[in-house]
Amino acid sequence: MALDLATLDLDAIARKEAGRRRQPGWKLAVAVTVSLLWVVPFYYLAISIFKSDQEYALKPPLSLPKGVAPVLDNVARAWALGDMGHAMLNSALYGIVGAGLAVLFAAMAAYAIARLDIPGRGGWFMLIFAGTVFPFQMYLIPLFFGFQRLGILNSHFGMLLFYTAICVPFPTLVLRNFMSGLGREMDEAARMDGAGELTIFARIVLPNTLGPMTAVFLLQFTWIWNDMLFSTVLGNRPETRSIMNALLIFQGSYSSTGPNVILTAALVASIPSVALFFLLRRHFMEGLKVQQA
Amino acid sequence: MDRAAQDEALLARIGIDEISRKERALRRGRLGQGLAFMAPALLLVIGLLLAPVAANVWLSFTRWKKFAGFDEFAGFSNYQKLPSNPFFTEALVNTAIWVGASLIFPIALGLGMAIFFRNMRGAEVFKSIVFIPRVLAPTSVGVLWFYIYAPDGLLNRGLSLVTGSKVDIGWLYESTTVTPAIIATFVWQTAGLVMVLLLLGLAAIPRDPVEAALIDGAKPGQIFRHITLPLLMPTLLMVMILSVLAGFTVFDLLWVMGANYPGQRSLALAVFMYFEAFQKSNWAFGSAVAVVIGLVVLSVTWIQTILQTRVDQMVR
Repeated sequence: MALDLATLDLDAIARKEAGRRRQPGWKLAVAVTVSLLWVVPFYYLAISIFKSDQEYALKPPLSLPKGVAPVLDNVARAWALGDMGHAMLNSALYGIVGAGLAVLFAAMAAYAIARLDIPGRGGWFMLIFAGTVFPFQMYLIPLFFGFQRLGILNSHFGMLLFYTAICVPFPTLVLRNFMSGLGREMDEAARMDGAGELTIFARIVLPNTLGPMTAVFLLQFTWIWNDMLFSTVLGNRPETRSIMNALLIFQGSYSSTGPNVILTAALVASIPSVALFFLLRRHFMEGLKVQQA
Repeated sequence: MDRAAQDEALLARIGIDEISRKERALRRGRLGQGLAFMAPALLLVIGLLLAPVAANVWLSFTRWKKFAGFDEFAGFSNYQKLPSNPFFTEALVNTAIWVGASLIFPIALGLGMAIFFRNMRGAEVFKSIVFIPRVLAPTSVGVLWFYIYAPDGLLNRGLSLVTGSKVDIGWLYESTTVTPAIIATFVWQTAGLVMVLLLLGLAAIPRDPVEAALIDGAKPGQIFRHITLPLLMPTLLMVMILSVLAGFTVFDLLWVMGANYPGQRSLALAVFMYFEAFQKSNWAFGSAVAVVIGLVVLSVTWIQTILQTRVDQMVR
């Protein structure tokens, strides 16, 4: 590993030390106040899922729950009444297959644009990237009628088709930038030895691109998981409903179930994206950086 | 033999025509290969994204007939109906408020927190806390805040406790409070991302000019205004555009939190469009609203490109 000169910057170390000693108390006070503003809604969410209907209705909203037992009942009711299991399976299917295929197709396109010296590659790239320019509202009506005519409205296939398509342009940008930075010696050597482009792509370029591919996969998976709009328009049936759509419908039937149950559903619906974020924070931050570039 | 003829002969001997023919064939071959690699991406993007956009533009110039579909060309009549629709004008005003608010609050808060937390000891915890709402799904965030703003919800009960008298504000039911209330939720959800992006931008600023200014006796305020801020400008601009586009096209929060608001369709253009198309089946009219939204988004992106080049020149 190369020696990182920055770590040997003694001046910087001294400066940091000085900064550490000088940190005033008011800074901490401000930080705590600001974080409290952010934390209170979470705290409210966290305690509400442990309350029974009665407890939620009668006790002050920020009071601690009497016990943790009601959470099981809340989850069970949310799960059954909101049909969440089915919806979560659907969302997992859309997220994993949709984002997975999209990243693979984006990597293929990026390979052609960044490494094959095709004529007009700037134009081909712009054509694909144009898919990020328009607001979602411009897709809705034609997709609805188009899917209806093709008979794929409210079908798993139709949902997957759309989610794959909308997740292609952004990864293409990221992977193109990454692939143009990779050295070409290996490709040339393989080409000399008579390897086809497919072999070079699959055996040399893809293995070296796995990091950014994981990062964009996570971003796109989260996007699909969190999407409510397209799932409402293109797949609004119990069989094809996504988790966010199920949550929306569950909340609409508010009169029959208490807020504690619906808040539990809201938290459960978000668990996968939150868990993924904490497990793979590094990749997400990587994703943010590439989003910025 | 003169010079030109000599060259001609030389080129013929090398076989320049042959070479360029081969070159052309090679390029054609590469294009073929490239197209094979790009085919799935191109087909999906054109078929499911670009073609719908084109179709949407066309639909906005037609008239919808129940059984015949969109077969009648109607010129600009869908667009001419827009200004006289009271819900549209109200949605336009609210969208303008959203744009202004998303330009000011997340940026001011995010920038403030980025600068505040940058050199602070133990700031990781605070930074994570502020960023977490961003990880939750917008629908979940909407549901959470729906109950915070409910008549007997957290906010009213908290205010009652503080003021000592019963507070009973229908935050999400009254036209004066519904937009500010949902904007507050939006700020709660997005300020953390703005902060993280600006922290990344701040980290990329070289230390040398700051050191030099410190040695020359510059005050922290001066350093920020004359060195840090100009160098942060490209990131700041990018974040502002992201924020404006997010505020302009916000839908999920409004759809979830405004569910019980009688004038929900006038909460923003995106909601108005959805309402007209998918609840009232005014398909052609709805597609005209979508085109209006698209035009605004395209002009924002266009302004961004212009500003970005300017800022880049300034920084260099």
